[in-house]
Amino acid sequence: MNELFGFIVRHSKWLVFAFFVTISCTLLFNDDPYRRHVFMTSAGRMAATVYKGANNVTSYFDLREINGDLNRRNAELQAEIVRMQETIDRLREQNFTDTLAIDSGVRHFDFIVAHVINNSISHPFNYLTINKGSSDGIKPELGVIDRNGVVGIVSTTGAHSARVISLLNPHFRLSCKIKRSDYFGSLVWDGANPSEALLEELPRHTVFEPGDTIVTSGYSAVFPSGLPVGVIIGADTDRNQNFFTLRVRLLADFTTLGNVQVVINNQAEEIRALSAGEENDSKKKPFGN
Amino acid sequence: MAKLALKIFFAFILLVPAQAVIFNHLALFNVAVPIVFIYLIIMLPVTLGTNISTTIGFLAGITLDIFCDTAGVNALAATVLAFARKPVFHLYVSIDDDLAGRSPSARSMGHASFMKYLVTMVLAYCAMVFTVEAFQFFNFRLLVLRILASTVYSFILLYALDCATARNRDTA
Repeated sequence: MNELFGFIVRHSKWLVFAFFVTISCTLLFNDDPYRRHVFMTSAGRMAATVYKGANNVTSYFDLREINGDLNRRNAELQAEIVRMQETIDRLREQNFTDTLAIDSGVRHFDFIVAHVINNSISHPFNYLTINKGSSDGIKPELGVIDRNGVVGIVSTTGAHSARVISLLNPHFRLSCKIKRSDYFGSLVWDGANPSEALLEELPRHTVFEPGDTIVTSGYSAVFPSGLPVGVIIGADTDRNQNFFTLRVRLLADFTTLGNVQVVINNQAEEIRALSAGEENDSKKKPFGN
Repeated sequence: MAKLALKIFFAFILLVPAQAVIFNHLALFNVAVPIVFIYLIIMLPVTLGTNISTTIGFLAGITLDIFCDTAGVNALAATVLAFARKPVFHLYVSIDDDLAGRSPSARSMGHASFMKYLVTMVLAYCAMVFTVEAFQFFNFRLLVLRILASTVYSFILLYALDCATARNRDTA
């Protein structure tokens, strides 16, 4: 027994070292971003408090640029409203006997405005932290957008803050389509440039022009379809035989993220239940076996 | 001893959040990241036990990981750096009798030895952090560029920090 204690005391520095290295490596290789306790992320109370304090100062820095973007977006939406109003009026005239109002029913999407209190772009796996959490109705796997385009997806929520997996993180793949031709693929960041990403898994016969807009496909329950994501720069050099990859300039400027909106899909549960049902069906044995 | 503990505690609560909130956002060209919080490890007195310094290194690293969502990258690198601190120091300074209880700095070691010690520590840290982070996308040219650029950038800031705190120590 004494020998054992003697051994531990003599080699204590190696044992302490090995202990800490083991903890670090466990954290390092357990890289599922959804299975991490909130305390261990930037949405935890300690980190969120520090970031909120710092953000009270830094949030004023990019206001001019943000204001310009908002004005532009506002003008676009104004034009869109006028166009839609005209369409609605025309449809009403056509179906004036119809008693059902066109815009009745449950609202499909709701938006919660939040502020980015921490953001990184220089790591291979980037995350951001927002100042709204579960007590504001934020849940994991909700989409996050800003005035220009898609930003990320919520992974972990604290009471008053949440951690978001940035689009600049290879854990996040976003289903997108080319707006003009409707060919769809999967958008993923390649770790190099924070303003560019790759649109992968496009069919080989895809028709595109540099400058075409990439929008969300709406095939998942997270984002509505048609949200702007990026603009095609050109074909990426590494193509393989069956699929085709495009390089895309992202519309959201990750260096100046300020206000974002969290997208709440009111029909998400319904869609998830349906897809879970499909998976169960496919697991069933085929008839006759 | 109590004075030293207090000094380490204040350095910890200043440098680690400052790294997360300020220095990580001062990256140049998205390549050079200034890593300043390792001054906490660099300034630990050589006579401090390896167990304590390794623990301080690990705590600083994991706190930064929590802030930056880097999951163990900084914890691993800071643990190794704190553990290797004494051997690195003895590469450049052979006798530590005169330095009992004093922090390594340009004043206590002389500029030349301190610069060599600082460069070795910073380079080792940058090499570890960026290599571990590069497991996902291996781009050798970018990796080397990141390590070298960050080392130079961090070295300049840390040397300036050392000179600034040395002046404070003189006036105090």
